[in-house]
Amino acid sequence: MTVRTGDAFVIQKSSLDDLLGQLRQAGYETYGPRVDRGAIVYRPIASTADLPRGYSTEQKPGSFRLAQTGSRRLFDATPGADSWKPMLFPARQSLFEVTPSNGDLQLTFDQTEPTRRALIGVRACELAAIEVQDRVFLRPDFSDPGYRQRRENLFLVAVDCHDPAATCFCHAMGTGPAVRDGFDLALSELGDEFLVRVGSQAGASMIGDLQATPATAFHHQAAATATERAIRSQVRTIDTTDLPALLLSALDSPRWDQVGDRCLNCTSCTLVCPTCFCWDVVDTSDLATGRTERVRLWDSCFNPDHSYHAGGGLVRPTVRARYRQWLTHKLGSWVEQFGVSGCVGCGRCITWCPAGIDITEEVAALRQEAGE
Amino acid sequence: MTARPPALAQLPQVLLGPAWARLESIQPEVEGISTFWLRFEDEELASTYRFQAGQFNMLYLPGYGESAISISSDPAVPDRLGHTIRFVGNVTRAFNRLRPGDLVGVRGPFGSTWPIDQLPGQDVILATGGIGLAPLRPVVYRLLAERHKYGRIVLLYGARTPGDLLYTSEFDAWQQAGIETVVSVDRADETWQGHVGVVPMLFYRLRVDPEKTWILSCGPEIMMRFVVYEALARRIAPERIFLSLERNMKCGQGFCGHCQLGPLFICKQGPVFDYQTLEPYLQVEDF
Amino acid sequence: MSKEDPAVRARLAEIPWFMELEQSHFDRLLSIASLRQVEAGERIFSESDEQDNLYILARGRVAIELHVPSRGRVRLATVEPLEVFGWSSVTPVVRLRTASASAVLPSELIAFPADRLRAACDADPTLGYVVMRRLANVIAARLMVTRLQLLDIFAHPSEGPTS
Repeated sequence: MTVRTGDAFVIQKSSLDDLLGQLRQAGYETYGPRVDRGAIVYRPIASTADLPRGYSTEQKPGSFRLAQTGSRRLFDATPGADSWKPMLFPARQSLFEVTPSNGDLQLTFDQTEPTRRALIGVRACELAAIEVQDRVFLRPDFSDPGYRQRRENLFLVAVDCHDPAATCFCHAMGTGPAVRDGFDLALSELGDEFLVRVGSQAGASMIGDLQATPATAFHHQAAATATERAIRSQVRTIDTTDLPALLLSALDSPRWDQVGDRCLNCTSCTLVCPTCFCWDVVDTSDLATGRTERVRLWDSCFNPDHSYHAGGGLVRPTVRARYRQWLTHKLGSWVEQFGVSGCVGCGRCITWCPAGIDITEEVAALRQEAGE
Repeated sequence: MTARPPALAQLPQVLLGPAWARLESIQPEVEGISTFWLRFEDEELASTYRFQAGQFNMLYLPGYGESAISISSDPAVPDRLGHTIRFVGNVTRAFNRLRPGDLVGVRGPFGSTWPIDQLPGQDVILATGGIGLAPLRPVVYRLLAERHKYGRIVLLYGARTPGDLLYTSEFDAWQQAGIETVVSVDRADETWQGHVGVVPMLFYRLRVDPEKTWILSCGPEIMMRFVVYEALARRIAPERIFLSLERNMKCGQGFCGHCQLGPLFICKQGPVFDYQTLEPYLQVEDF
Repeated sequence: MSKEDPAVRARLAEIPWFMELEQSHFDRLLSIASLRQVEAGERIFSESDEQDNLYILARGRVAIELHVPSRGRVRLATVEPLEVFGWSSVTPVVRLRTASASAVLPSELIAFPADRLRAACDADPTLGYVVMRRLANVIAARLMVTRLQLLDIFAHPSEGPTS
């Protein structure tokens, strides 16, 4: 059967294992969500047996719990602290090595072949986050070579979110819960079947050998209804009207002092955020060989040294200043820099903040203050 | 290949690995500051590399790290690059231990440039202090190369003490070539017969025509704030006041996130900015 | 009462603030002004002198200095043409000179005897207001400069972990 981008099919749930098998045969390592010690993590998966069947999550500020629903659904557990970001932008990456040789310095770049990776169960918010990171690392004027390579070797199997957590606000941010584009294949879990949408040539080539029937209006309707329910179930919202202008005009608000008092400066929010891109470099040397290595590491604007420069000291010396930088960048300056908001509404920063700080609440407070 | 992003093959690679340059000579300037003269090892690079006044290179010492250093030499002589470095941190202090013949990694040139092409026919005031004169020296050379194109050119330069003034051996030549060179120090010694006071004060005796005067300023941020104040008080438009800012830089190309001031990446849209662009952000405390 | 000296009038005419004065105020100030020439290195007034004159520097350069034990004479600031110095002679509270002034270059000063300037201001409050307002600006500008010098903005920053 000829499969084209835009086509939609229905497969039995069990066929998902066939898809995984096909991906592995094509040379892809398959990754997906798994349950591990009370959390949902992204790890290699061999089959659908590894997926969090019958799990959903209960999330609120500063709290994440798994719950067992007893259903046979595979993708109801919304993401935990893990995001797909390390697949494209590793937390630690060697940039190059320098080796002294005969009065010269030899520069060697990492030549490892990139691995092909298939990500299974990528949510709409996560696709949006990948698109945001694409805009950071792949720009018209330059691209990060490592990111580019990994991006080219990625296969994305997205999934519609039917059971958002209480901390989710993707609908308010316009990124979900239904998957729109940016995928190779998109799944919608309907009972014992999956509605599969084809998003690319690569996706089309994976469908070919599966037991698939064309999707009917019934299936599309069922998926749409599930999405509607998911949208209505989202309790959190954020008013994004003119948000950059609002934030940049509220830089002196007392609200920053208030949140600065509560914030523990633990950097958890930036760690779990799927769009944060700050990175640092460290140089290490081997005294025995004289070889030095330059390594790139994730950084966070909450790290005190983030704004330190030798000529002027610490630009942001207080927690208040650093929190303000994070929020006004994520929801404000980012738009001017990259053309989209830096926030995709995944809610991780709310769930994983030990102080229970909620950016939707902070924005609402600033908006109310401005409206007074 | 996934649905997006498009056309990856066409995007130029970001510059993460350095090109090697040989340290040809070290010119001590004042205590704690020297100018390092570099020449690329690769002949083609040495002959094709170009930079404009205001730009900087990321200079790399393996095992220590990188430092963003403004290029302080003449853009018309780009095969020998001068970098005036103040020894204040780990990397820059390591520079102080280099000897001619050592290799230095160079990535660049990065950053925005002083608006020299808008200056013909205009009066130019270079208001600078301390090591801030380093990124402005290329401007001096450019202006002097075609002195007749410009109106009045004034250099207002201040430092902590007379011993901290950079490039003093060139001042006479600049004065002769048509730059009014006005120098002041914060603290005088017994030999100093010049001005004692701060750079913004040097504005007091200047008569400026606000319609055709441009200000190019570089120095401690607080000095630049007062220069802006004096310029605005003399009704010079914010679009004609240019500052060079400094922030923590790791990549030099606007994607490591460190050098941001609001939406501006100091390494990419800056370090040279007009005041109109900076105005919403510069005066915000701890931003 | 000095007779009007055309040289003094000429110097005052170079100063924008004087040209903006009402004629009666200008004449009054002109009548108490005189010119004084000093050589390079000449002391104009010393700390703890009783105040005598308010000065405007017409030409040259003057240094304001303080004598600091074990440091000798410390030059705090320099005065440029058209600037006012020695204003402590006119302000109501400070009665003794707080610093000394010496010419750095051969200089020409316009001197206003403080007691006669004060008397003129007392007699004509409007003139007094105009003069004090001008002095307030002079002192404010000097304060701003002093603050920046105090901040020591070119001092070497403390050590840190990065480049």
